[in-house]
Amino acid sequence: MSTTRNTDFVGMFKLAGLLSFVLVVGTIVMYFTKGLNYGVDFRGGVEIQVKFNKSVDLGDLRNLMSEKKVALSQLQSIGDASQNEFLLKLESDKGDLNAVSSQVGSVLAEKYGEGSYEILKNDIVGPKAGAELRMSAFKAIAWAILAIMIYLALRFDYKFAPGAIAALIHDVTIIIGAFIITQKEFSLQIVAALLAIIGYSVNDTVVIYDRVREIEAAHPELPTIQVVNRAINETMSRTIITSATVLGVSVVMLIWGGSVIHDFFFALTIGIILGVYSTIFIAIPMTAVYEKLISKKA
Amino acid sequence: MARGWWIRFSILVALVIGSLMTVTPTLFNLKEDSKFPLKTKINLGLDLQGGLYMVLGIDFNKVYRDEVIGYARKAQATLRDIGVESSLGTLDASDARDPKHSIILAKESDREAAKAKLREFYNYPLRLTKDTGTTLQYGLGRDFSREIEETALSKSIEVIRNRIDEFGVTEPEIVSQGASRIVVQLPGVKDIARAKDLIGRTAKLEFKFVNDEAGQGAMNDWLEKVRKAGIEYKKGERFSDYVTEINKLLVDDLPKGFEIAFSKTVSKTTNEITNLEPYLVEAGTSLTGEELQEAIVRIDPQQNRPYVGLEFKPAGAKIFEELTGANIGKRLAIILDGNVYSAPVIQSKIAGGSAQITLGAGDYNATMMEARDLALVLRAGALPVELVFEEQRVVGPSLGADAIDRAQVASFFGSLLVIIFMVAYYKLSGFIACAAIFVNVLLVMTSMVLVGATLSLPGIAGIALTVGMAVDGNIIIYERIREELRAGMSPFEAVRTGFEKAFWAILDANLTTALAGLCLLNFGTGPVRGFAVTLLIGIFTTVYTSYFVSKVLFEMYVGKGDRKTLSI
Repeated sequence: MSTTRNTDFVGMFKLAGLLSFVLVVGTIVMYFTKGLNYGVDFRGGVEIQVKFNKSVDLGDLRNLMSEKKVALSQLQSIGDASQNEFLLKLESDKGDLNAVSSQVGSVLAEKYGEGSYEILKNDIVGPKAGAELRMSAFKAIAWAILAIMIYLALRFDYKFAPGAIAALIHDVTIIIGAFIITQKEFSLQIVAALLAIIGYSVNDTVVIYDRVREIEAAHPELPTIQVVNRAINETMSRTIITSATVLGVSVVMLIWGGSVIHDFFFALTIGIILGVYSTIFIAIPMTAVYEKLISKKA
Repeated sequence: MARGWWIRFSILVALVIGSLMTVTPTLFNLKEDSKFPLKTKINLGLDLQGGLYMVLGIDFNKVYRDEVIGYARKAQATLRDIGVESSLGTLDASDARDPKHSIILAKESDREAAKAKLREFYNYPLRLTKDTGTTLQYGLGRDFSREIEETALSKSIEVIRNRIDEFGVTEPEIVSQGASRIVVQLPGVKDIARAKDLIGRTAKLEFKFVNDEAGQGAMNDWLEKVRKAGIEYKKGERFSDYVTEINKLLVDDLPKGFEIAFSKTVSKTTNEITNLEPYLVEAGTSLTGEELQEAIVRIDPQQNRPYVGLEFKPAGAKIFEELTGANIGKRLAIILDGNVYSAPVIQSKIAGGSAQITLGAGDYNATMMEARDLALVLRAGALPVELVFEEQRVVGPSLGADAIDRAQVASFFGSLLVIIFMVAYYKLSGFIACAAIFVNVLLVMTSMVLVGATLSLPGIAGIALTVGMAVDGNIIIYERIREELRAGMSPFEAVRTGFEKAFWAILDANLTTALAGLCLLNFGTGPVRGFAVTLLIGIFTTVYTSYFVSKVLFEMYVGKGDRKTLSI
């Protein structure tokens, strides 16, 4: 890799900032218009996944459930029809979750016989538990971001904190946007993915901050904009190689990892790309921009 | 070679050998009886091995209510002992968290004496909340309420454990979460409905006499009043709430000291109530399941129908004998969890201390199963409180197995990708990086075995993140070494400076992530915590391996400084 590369990342901040701003605002608008497809974890309700080892028609199953007065709000097949896999759902405010869950079991056993199907998953989250899980997930993310901010301010300099935090909020928001657009289910697992992304993104940012700090120490005479640009350029090869490797692994997991972890790695893949982008174009340049603002005021 | 290299190298070798030994039982899935000296394997989370995960909440409001009624009765008896006549007043449950019960004194002149006596006896469990005329109203003492909560929680866990032990599940996990929740994890359980029923059933057995003097007409009037008040049982609500509401409405109509209870039959497939029969029974009880010595399934030879035979402890047997002797001709309702099972007429004094619970007619096998489970829960003891299922997760065994298989395949390809890339890009040094990453994953797994952490799917994601950070750690160092080489340093110097300068970047990056991990551990639940545990373990091993392990290997590679080129 050549050492002469010298791209003006700070100069691109306006453009990048505009793009990110549009994406973030777009997500917020979509959140209130289209809405996030909360999974059973956060919304409360019943979710039963059942697989038959013989051919079962979705229509027949639907008829059976309505005939036996099983109060379901949604019944759909998973994958293609030959898999004979179905997902049964009920929102929490529409009936006794535990009763419905056991009722499904006894209706299936009566009609198809024990052993001709397997309950792959049977999740029940009471409305209270759902609300609490939502709250604890939100708290976990908020505290994680806050802790990172304090650490950066103490360990580096207060001027580094706003950029890093803006980048993290930016990443998390846009991934949520991706989940709104695809209407993929937003579950606890996805929260874990968001946290992993926060980890990656801040890792990227800190590595470059470290370089900024080093250049500043060696050349105190350089203006911050130059220092920042130089730090990004000097660490560029590392940024590219690391991201490419990690992205590669994430894509492999996304393709071959199976349905259970698919959505997790979907979030992670988008997040890795976003993390690199936000580090280079938002977090680091913002340090220079922020300092310029402060000095203007002073 | 740098000073102390041999020491660091020896530590590394010892660590790798020790770790390999530790993870051997897990990797090769050794049986318990294998000759290998170590046995402990990594615990797999329920999402990976299949099973039942439940969060049960405790309904303390009901406990408070029962306690305050119980103590009001005791207080009344205490007053009688000192010659103060009183009657039980009403229950005020307008604040469900702090119910109060009043005692009505026969003479207002007894008030000060009564108050003094009750303060002397019940200073701790009761607190005086109202004191007007002949009425003394008491709520539960603050510290006592807290004690009730703690006892209820630990007793519930104990009872659940007893039941699960009888049910036979290997490695169940029953722990409290906060002050009012219990988390139960049962790996490999297949019959979910049955397991839930066994765990969640309160199994509160009570013997109460039926008041038939009021007659059918009065009962019809009361139920008519309930209908007119618009109280009806709605599907999805708790039946016990419905019964409580009825009794609240009729509190002034029913004879003092009595309440309404139902005998309820529910269809298993449609989940609807098929039959509901009202009884007027005593509000309190003199005999409960706590007096039981034994509960066993017996079969009625005439009807060939299973039933549950009950044997009382000596003290209970005596109470039972006295009670039946004093109430010949009355009906005795056997009530389980608020539901009247049967109400046989007492023909004569029953000595010997045995009773029975007859079950509804139906399929022999179904009745047999019901009788067996009922006997089991009665033997294991009643839960001191009513538990509410707040959360349940069931993972079928094949879903977990499939997830492991796929994750293994994908992890293999992912690792392969990393190795190919690192070796292609960094040549010989790439091997060192791969070795360091391998040691990293090995150490993560070893730590998990040693601290007894549970590996779940989000945990695997945490390990994936660790590998990513480990790769990054090495890349940061290598890029730094390349920079220094370009700047004209000798390989020996470049390696030394590269590691030195990269160290702070690696440490800071990992510490920031560790902070996030700590927040997750603290505020997260379930899967998020599983992720946090592996992430935190991973951060420690990453800092160690990417800096120290790589360094030891690199120092071996560059030797004493005579090497002219570096394959990087």
